[in-house]
Amino acid sequence: MGRASGRGKPWPYTRRVRKLENPGPMRITFEFNRKRFEAAPNDTVASALYRAGMRVFSRSFKYHRPRGLLCLAGKCPNCLVNVDGQPNVRACMMPVRQGMRVRHQNAYPSLEHDVLSVVQHLDWLMPVGWYYKGLSHPKAWHAAEPFIRKVAGLGDPPAAGLPGPEYEHAYMHVEVAVIGGGPAGLHAALEFGRAGGQVLLIDDQSALGGHLRYQKNPSARLADLIANLQALGSVKVMQGCSCFGLYEGNLLGVLQPSPHPMVVERLVHVRAQRIVVATGAYETPLLFPNNDLVGVMLSSAVERLIRLHGIVPGSRAVIVADGKRGEEVANDLREAGEAVVATVAADAVVEAVGGKCVKGLHTREGNFKCDLVVVCGHRVPDVGLLAQAGARLDWDADRGAFVPLDLPPHVQAVGEVTGGSLVAAPVTPSKPSFNKRAFICLCSDVTSQDLRDAISEGFDHIEPLKRYTTATMGPCQGKMCQLNAVAICAHEKQRSMAATGMTTARPPNPSVTLGALAGPRHHPIRRTPLHCAHEELGAVWMDMGDWKRPRFYRTAASSMERRCVDEEYRAVRERVGLIDVGTLGKLDLQGRDCGVLLDWVYSNRLSDLRPGRVRYSVLCDEAGIMLDDGTISRIADDRYFITTTTGNLDFVQQWLEWWLIGTGWDVHLTNVTGLAAVNLAGPQARSVLRKLTICDLSREGFPYMSCRQAEVAGVPLLMLRIGFVGETGWEMHFPGEWGEYLWKKLLEAGKEFEIRPFGVEAQRLLRLEKRHVIVGVDTDALTNPLEADMGWVAKMDKADFIGRAALLRLGARQPQQKLVGFMMQGDSVPEDGAAILVRGRLAGRVTSARYSPVNDKAVGLAWLAAEVEKAHNEIQVRVNGRLEAARITRQAFYDPEGARLRM
Amino acid sequence: MSFLLPCPHCGPRSVYEFRFGGEVKQRPSPDAPAEDWLRYIYTKANAAAVQKEWWYHRSGCRRWLLALRNTVTNEVLETYFPAHSTMNGDHCPP
Repeated sequence: MGRASGRGKPWPYTRRVRKLENPGPMRITFEFNRKRFEAAPNDTVASALYRAGMRVFSRSFKYHRPRGLLCLAGKCPNCLVNVDGQPNVRACMMPVRQGMRVRHQNAYPSLEHDVLSVVQHLDWLMPVGWYYKGLSHPKAWHAAEPFIRKVAGLGDPPAAGLPGPEYEHAYMHVEVAVIGGGPAGLHAALEFGRAGGQVLLIDDQSALGGHLRYQKNPSARLADLIANLQALGSVKVMQGCSCFGLYEGNLLGVLQPSPHPMVVERLVHVRAQRIVVATGAYETPLLFPNNDLVGVMLSSAVERLIRLHGIVPGSRAVIVADGKRGEEVANDLREAGEAVVATVAADAVVEAVGGKCVKGLHTREGNFKCDLVVVCGHRVPDVGLLAQAGARLDWDADRGAFVPLDLPPHVQAVGEVTGGSLVAAPVTPSKPSFNKRAFICLCSDVTSQDLRDAISEGFDHIEPLKRYTTATMGPCQGKMCQLNAVAICAHEKQRSMAATGMTTARPPNPSVTLGALAGPRHHPIRRTPLHCAHEELGAVWMDMGDWKRPRFYRTAASSMERRCVDEEYRAVRERVGLIDVGTLGKLDLQGRDCGVLLDWVYSNRLSDLRPGRVRYSVLCDEAGIMLDDGTISRIADDRYFITTTTGNLDFVQQWLEWWLIGTGWDVHLTNVTGLAAVNLAGPQARSVLRKLTICDLSREGFPYMSCRQAEVAGVPLLMLRIGFVGETGWEMHFPGEWGEYLWKKLLEAGKEFEIRPFGVEAQRLLRLEKRHVIVGVDTDALTNPLEADMGWVAKMDKADFIGRAALLRLGARQPQQKLVGFMMQGDSVPEDGAAILVRGRLAGRVTSARYSPVNDKAVGLAWLAAEVEKAHNEIQVRVNGRLEAARITRQAFYDPEGARLRM
Repeated sequence: MSFLLPCPHCGPRSVYEFRFGGEVKQRPSPDAPAEDWLRYIYTKANAAAVQKEWWYHRSGCRRWLLALRNTVTNEVLETYFPAHSTMNGDHCPP
């Protein structure tokens, strides 16, 4: 592969001619398909491989036809390769780095011999839109789908699970952003820079200059321009960066490859007060049979090979050109040392011939043998960004191009992108070449014949034509094919180019890797003040939103979840347990009118709560949907303390603040979630605490649902006597800096009672036995308190509160579903979410289910259709594909009277 | 959607720093007919015009603000903090 292509004979190796720019010493080595190649410092992957004799760079999408370098400017799909695991990288834009590993893609077993290239001989089986026509029957589709999925698409995504490349995002604000580093862009940047503006110049090529870099006799002017630019301190240049989108609010998406060794790509969000688009024009292919053969190359690509990389592209060239452009290119080639066999006009071309590589060009003026066909195609203004900005594109017959009009005020266009210096040329030969091998769209192998067929089938407007044939929808996003497709459509329908129009330009163009869009793989992690203490105790972690919480604790005896959770459960039920509840949202409310606000937003009545008492409530929205629940403690006349569920703190705080607006109520809301919080629970909880505090913990002195400010082990804290897990217990909130100290003090004091720290899993089991719901687990975005069997928490005798009107109406009609408890009759344990059936019909679903040790059966919560709940006590739950009997229970599974809570 | 929203406290910021709070609506009185409540809870004017709406500057000053935004062009004409004590019909708790 390194040396030869076609018939095993080496291609004419680069004959170095004195006039060529010396590419410099070959110092960089890289791999292509596991073979070593050498490259010069200025080489791209494409130029280095071309110099080494490689001609076939890819296989086409549908027919697997060999494809070689065409545009060498990052506009066409022909040189897509895999670089260091990243698929679909344009070899012509990727600078060679030492040790880089490049692989071909979309060919098996090799680029030279691709078994799927037989597909091109089956093209009669695959006319345009064949998958709509041939695979419309579901059976046909299902039969074909596995194969189509396997062969469709370009490139392989990086393997899952491996540490892939890293990406990052950055943000910039500038006064002027100039896109395009050609002469027009350079002049614009200079002008704005001299006027004192802070300018960002974004250029996607490897050096500034645009076509001045590779067209004849420009060099003096370019060097001056660049020197002047560098002399200005106010112009920053982003070289080799592509601008892929112009979004509302003057936002530009810019992709910067390898800004530093830690990341492969950086996505820069550039916010500019003013945007100057100087993207210039690019050359597009001409239409003739076999116009996609390897060795058919655009004239600008030939100039780039010669002037930028010091490579003579072939040995015998035929030039297809109209006007004096042909002469220019012919001179360039001759100077470089290549024989120019002939120059022919575009409409004289009959077809290109050859196998993998072009061997000749048949024309009306004769047949020529050659190894290079240089195509001087139409130049198309690169108007994509302007169209995204809202410019209207209008056909300019004099210039033979769609030119941008009506630019929005903050965007301007300069240079060839405006159509400025373009000269009119017939856009297609007077008789377009309709042929099954005249390729319009190189990305997805759409030919001129395909377009004609589609138009005759009625897809005769440019937008449906695009969607039906997929022309302009490939990796090049229409850059190579748009103009030809519009011209064919116009010709076939006898319409003007202007009336035919262009397809809508949308970002991103050029394509952007998903990794760059996704950005850095950073995920914020929140840890409670007790995190290290849990770590020492062998916590197995689980994620709850951003928080890390111990799921359970491994012990010396076992690390099996079931055994550990069981032991933690027994400790709480029989002795005493300690859990970190620091992730609860905590809000401190102070002011005269706290009670008024809380009565207004919570469904329960809270203004009549006496200081030192705690009440449970839910928070509903105006539709009566349960948004959150928690305890509200009144610490003093003008001070309340609220807890919210772990994930809802921000929402609740914003909700309360929103409802405060405009009321004039005296309420000050402070988020105090930074406090540490633990819950000590179990029959021995009082005995443990007694060792550490002088606070009266007696049943009468500190009853259930009350709160005190006290000291435990010298730490000032707020104690709430509440019982989520169903045992005598105290939830303690205190400053985080004492977190570990108090946690360890409590465990120490509890040693004689065989205290155990317990995790979220044991807590979920303990609360489930008490039938305490978790908002967001047992409830969803349609749950109201009436259906959740919590109607008691809505005090409808309050004059008004959020959701009252809806709850009144809901209460007046039959509920549709009910949250019920159930107990399995056999030994099986259903999964959360399992289906419930009654007499063979779907009747509901399980929200939580666990094996309950006190009942020696699985228990759970479930939503049931209201009429089923009324009429039946026996239900069936699907467990492991079988239906298992269960019985509805209407009270808690453990201590239904709540006696243990009040002990 | 990538426009800038001028926060009265923090200045022009990317709209991604904000939480959208919906269009400003008038809460019906408790004894208003069911239709009024249904309209208030479930329907939106969704006007293709300048609309007064709530925004919350989540990644900034963490305050609720009101904005006059053209929903067609995303041009933000004005933003301001609602007064604590008087709302002039922007908001209607009891």
